[in-house]
Amino acid sequence: MSATALTSLRHDQRFRFALLTFPGALFVLVFLILPLLSIVVFSLWRTENYEIISDWNIENYKVILTTATYLKFLGRSVLMALAVSAICLVYAYPVAYLIAKHGGRFRLILILLTAAPFLTGVILRVTAIQHILGPIGLVNMALTTFGIEPIEVLMYSNIATAIGLVYLWIPFMILAIYLSLLNFDFELLEVAKVCGAKPWRAFIELTWPLNRMGTMIGIILVFVPTLAANVTPKFLGGVNGSLYGNILDHQFGATGTWALGSAMGVVLFVVSLVFIVIVWRSVNLRRSGFTGMESRQ
Amino acid sequence: MNNPVLRIDRVTKRFGAVQAVKGVSLDIDKGEFFAILGPSGSGKTTLLRIIAGLETPDVGTVHIADRDVTRLPPYERRIGMVFQDFLLFPHKTVSKNIAFPLKMQGVLATGQDEQVRWALDFVRLTEVADRYPHQLSGGQKQRVALARGLVARPEILLLDEPLANLDRELRKEMEVEVRRYQVELGIPFVYVTHNQEEALTMSDRIAVMDQGLFEQVGPKLEVYAKPANRFVASFVGSANRIVGSLVDVNGETASLDWDGEVLNVVRPNGAEKGDRVELFIKSERIRIDKPGDGESVNSTENRIRGRLLDIIFKGQYADYLVRLNNGAEIVVSDTPDISAVSRSDEVEVSWQVDAGDCFAVKGEATPQVSDN
Repeated sequence: MSATALTSLRHDQRFRFALLTFPGALFVLVFLILPLLSIVVFSLWRTENYEIISDWNIENYKVILTTATYLKFLGRSVLMALAVSAICLVYAYPVAYLIAKHGGRFRLILILLTAAPFLTGVILRVTAIQHILGPIGLVNMALTTFGIEPIEVLMYSNIATAIGLVYLWIPFMILAIYLSLLNFDFELLEVAKVCGAKPWRAFIELTWPLNRMGTMIGIILVFVPTLAANVTPKFLGGVNGSLYGNILDHQFGATGTWALGSAMGVVLFVVSLVFIVIVWRSVNLRRSGFTGMESRQ
Repeated sequence: MNNPVLRIDRVTKRFGAVQAVKGVSLDIDKGEFFAILGPSGSGKTTLLRIIAGLETPDVGTVHIADRDVTRLPPYERRIGMVFQDFLLFPHKTVSKNIAFPLKMQGVLATGQDEQVRWALDFVRLTEVADRYPHQLSGGQKQRVALARGLVARPEILLLDEPLANLDRELRKEMEVEVRRYQVELGIPFVYVTHNQEEALTMSDRIAVMDQGLFEQVGPKLEVYAKPANRFVASFVGSANRIVGSLVDVNGETASLDWDGEVLNVVRPNGAEKGDRVELFIKSERIRIDKPGDGESVNSTENRIRGRLLDIIFKGQYADYLVRLNNGAEIVVSDTPDISAVSRSDEVEVSWQVDAGDCFAVKGEATPQVSDN
């Protein structure tokens, strides 16, 4: 092939590539990058009397990083996110495993059922939980009917919030682990058994490492939204159960301190990013056995 | 007293409506290379999985080295197993794959290193010890799988069609290699395959399996040369199958009418005049000549004229495809230089009467099925 023909072919491919990626790129630019950038910009300005003034400074960040309350709420949210992720992981793994391995032809239906709560909105679901856990909720009403003291921690506390968050996000964890297990060759476990591995050893040696990628995706999918949670703690956490998301929300509502709120948003974003990087570095993509990796061949 | 290493006693396994294994018994001795040969769906893999403990028999027992392991899980049986799709652990290096059984069985790290080095050397893979499975060729992968199966010195090694995924040339090489492992280690190998060539090349004894039953168990030469029934005769070796009815019986011999050609055959047990029979003659037991060359016709021989349709050259031998005068086609294997016959020549094929294996066809008329 002549040099000019090659050049025009390359040109052609580049054109097609551009054509295919353009809509997606445009969407990401308009709805993700621009809002994020504007938040970064706002976070470096200041607000006065419900008005945002373009006056470059880093005062907002200083406030967040030196005010004990903000740090306390951030810490509480990180702890909450870690705990909820851990509970979801322990709860979701056996569910995903059973469906993937023994679900047979009902696999798809079973996995779709785990997503059934999505048929209603978040607020409705959280309200439902409230009506189960709250002071006049199903659990405590039942207890008082039988003359038993109601369980205090279920009423407007961080534990109630955690229960609500686990309920909200566990489908993502189940789905991520399930999809990973779909690609997992369960026959490897038979090999391990013949080699002398008891079932739990086979899990530690094979199932866990070979599905770590899916598991980590599940953890991230639970951790990140939990870190930013505000509706759930508002409904279930009560007055003393506020999380970082609640005070962040506050800045854009009652107090109208948009610039500070933006800075808090950026901090949230950075914390999430750091977590994702830490999790991601623990996965060896090439040997994780995940879809499309050459190790499968 | 020399007890068998593996003893299977009247093992039965049913999956729903399918009875995969129907009361099979078997003893395998130390140092034996035993092949279970059968078509797919014959139950051979199920039987192997029962020996491994990956399936539990509904009825019957399995003993390995004088221990009743019928109810023991695989990890307590001290066995090795090699699978068709290699099934290496993708996230572990070759060394780590091979070390896995040692690690699981609690061998100390120093002992592990030594045994892994021995196994790597044994299967000639020392130079790829640190590679990952996806960096290996098919043959190397299968060697790793074999090393992993052998490294912990199991009582018995089970092989489930281990060479089926390799190309022909590599398979030939690995057949010799696997046989060498067995001879050097002196532990019994139980080798499941649908490939009769593999079974005949490597094993000492063969069990031919069909529909959950052993059709014949015996030394490989016996299974090859003296098939016990129609199934074995058609499945082992490449045989011409001739169907006809007996027109005359006379003591040990009988005459068979094959579309107008009358052939002398060894009389099948209990067969009478008028019975339908099948005659199997392995293609290498038939000779091909120019007409009139090897005249002297006698009753210990069958001799039919025909026309040579084609010669399929195979290297060390050739297959001669002959259309006989009764319209049937027959395959003859002979030396490739069988002088001066060429396509569409008039030829004569012949074979000794006792070279063919003749069985009565039991079916519509006599419904009982032989299961020996």
